[in-house]
Amino acid sequence: MKTTKILGAVAALMLGGAGLAYADAIKLEGGKDTSMILLPKFLGILVFDQANEGAQEAHKELANPGKLDFVGPTPENSVAGQIEIMTTAATQKLGAVMLSNNAGDQIAPAAEAAQAAGTKVVTWDSPIPSAKGESVFVAQVDFGSIGVVMADMAHSILGGAGEMAVLSATPDAANQNAWIEAMKKTLAEDAKYKDIKLVDVVYGDDQSEVSYNRALALVDKYPNLGLIMAPTTVGIQAAAKAMQDEGLCDRVRVSGLGLPSEMVSYTMNGCAPEFALWDFRDLGYLSYYTAYGLATGQLKGEIGETFTAGRMGDYTIEADPGREGAKRILMGPFTVYNKDNVEAAAK
Amino acid sequence: MTGLFNRLSPQGLRILALLAVILLLLAFFASQIDGYFNARLFSRISGSVAIMALIATAQTLVILTRNIDLSIGSVVGFTAFAAGNLVSTNPEMSALLLVLFCCCFGACFGAVNGLIVAYGRVPSIIVTLATMAIFRSLLVEYSDGKSITTNTLPAWLTEFPNLPVFTVFGLEFRAAFVAALIVVLAAHLALTRLRPMRQFFAVGSNPEAAEMAGIDARRVVFSAFVLSGALAGLAGLMFLARFGNITVVAGLGFELKSVAAAVVGGVNIFGGSGTVIGALLGAVLVDVIDTSLVRWAIVSEFWREAVLGALILLSVTTDTLFTRRLVAWRAARAHARREAALNQEARP
Repeated sequence: MKTTKILGAVAALMLGGAGLAYADAIKLEGGKDTSMILLPKFLGILVFDQANEGAQEAHKELANPGKLDFVGPTPENSVAGQIEIMTTAATQKLGAVMLSNNAGDQIAPAAEAAQAAGTKVVTWDSPIPSAKGESVFVAQVDFGSIGVVMADMAHSILGGAGEMAVLSATPDAANQNAWIEAMKKTLAEDAKYKDIKLVDVVYGDDQSEVSYNRALALVDKYPNLGLIMAPTTVGIQAAAKAMQDEGLCDRVRVSGLGLPSEMVSYTMNGCAPEFALWDFRDLGYLSYYTAYGLATGQLKGEIGETFTAGRMGDYTIEADPGREGAKRILMGPFTVYNKDNVEAAAK
Repeated sequence: MTGLFNRLSPQGLRILALLAVILLLLAFFASQIDGYFNARLFSRISGSVAIMALIATAQTLVILTRNIDLSIGSVVGFTAFAAGNLVSTNPEMSALLLVLFCCCFGACFGAVNGLIVAYGRVPSIIVTLATMAIFRSLLVEYSDGKSITTNTLPAWLTEFPNLPVFTVFGLEFRAAFVAALIVVLAAHLALTRLRPMRQFFAVGSNPEAAEMAGIDARRVVFSAFVLSGALAGLAGLMFLARFGNITVVAGLGFELKSVAAAVVGGVNIFGGSGTVIGALLGAVLVDVIDTSLVRWAIVSEFWREAVLGALILLSVTTDTLFTRRLVAWRAARAHARREAALNQEARP
């Protein structure tokens, strides 16, 4: 955690220096008319609404006379609904679509069609894996560093040795899959984690009841399990509740990515001693600045371009180390929550 | 023994057959999975069956009248969310009032379905397919992106499902499961003993004949949907109490699970025959398969749904063949006995 912050500071300093030497960060000019939509995985999940709040904040700040709509599919129709909304966007002459992709590469043809019609596609939260049809991905945190943070939380909770299992969202979710891969890589490469064994990866479909039952099944299947790592806000609280209900918290802990307001009781009673997350409002805000810049032609979307995203400061478009040929903007950092800071964050 | 066997109705036989299939499955999984049988297995299955049994019963009432209710999952989800909202803003409210609220709330959705199906004469599969989506979208709108979290709920509610009521042979019967059993039993008694509920079977097996016999078929279909909605509402409350964290995806896919449980439990999909006890066992069977597959190492995550489907098919086929054989065999024996008796009389 500390190292991430220091690295971030160093990177910011270097960027600042580079900016002085070459070109200044592009200041986006407000007031230009472009209509955009923010397209979450599906409607009705708190974190996506927070992202929308951030985007609306940026929309006001830039005084864009166009419209910003928060449009998403209903939960049972997520994949097909996202593709449909993307397809329609191409015909509506929108400036940009901001997408948290839940449809894997299946959405790529629709995104390419949108690009051909002049609509920029900025992904946030979850990218298009092949990057086809994607202008740039606004990454909440470096996907590789999520792997390190999850491995570190596992290390500290398990005391350096033990069995862990992953409870993810859907098997199609590009972000969760990338984080799990990053964690596996970290566990395999660093000798520090040699005594931590990842025994299984299961999927709770981001539904409380499925996640709850999967978490209990993991405990039954692996008698020596010490930790369930859930990189999804729905999965982590369902798993924590399942362990609490069955009185298993002293044996099996829960960790992963969660919202402080939803996790505070489990952190305080020891069921989920540590978890991490980033600010979804900031993610929505930064995504909006990026999309606005691209849609109004003030940003070209090329590697090395630096721009100022309002209150959040300067960001640079860079090559995505996780996906070949893809471009990303890295937001970071994220916060690790534990007994000491979760109550304040939950308010 | 044979006397008892001869007196059992085909439905009774079917229930015996289902029990046999469940035992066979348990034996099979026990041979495959180390440490399969333990007290926890019972808690797991009874915990989720507590909710499934209610929606399977709700679905059975509707299927009996030759209809189907695909909106059940949305009603469960909406009620769970609304009840969570209500109880977190009024933590002092009484349990009884909350139960009543959930039943009435669900019944309202059921009444919408029932009105359109019974009085608008639109096929129920179309009506409830539409209302499934409409109710879910209304929930998305109503929830405003918020979710209900456990820490806003009163402790008595979240602790209720796991309260141990009694223990038999080391198996812990918890409050939610016992409550669901009581509801299923009450529905069973009502369906077999009460005249207005018997009319469900009449309308389902032959609507024209039922009309001729002076039964108001529309009213019967309407009440089936209202009752089904009320039970789905109760399931919503149970869902809220058990999982605590309610998002707009709550209850997603329950419509198919409830149909699966009812059909596996021997409820005729074309209406007119079936028991809620069968539907309860159907729910148990589906859950045994589901729970055990997760622990069966050789079935990967991605194949589980397919294996679940195949096992459901297999158990239904076995059960149907088994029941049919038994009924045929019994009929043949009864026939043979009658022949023998006749021959005896004919002899001088």
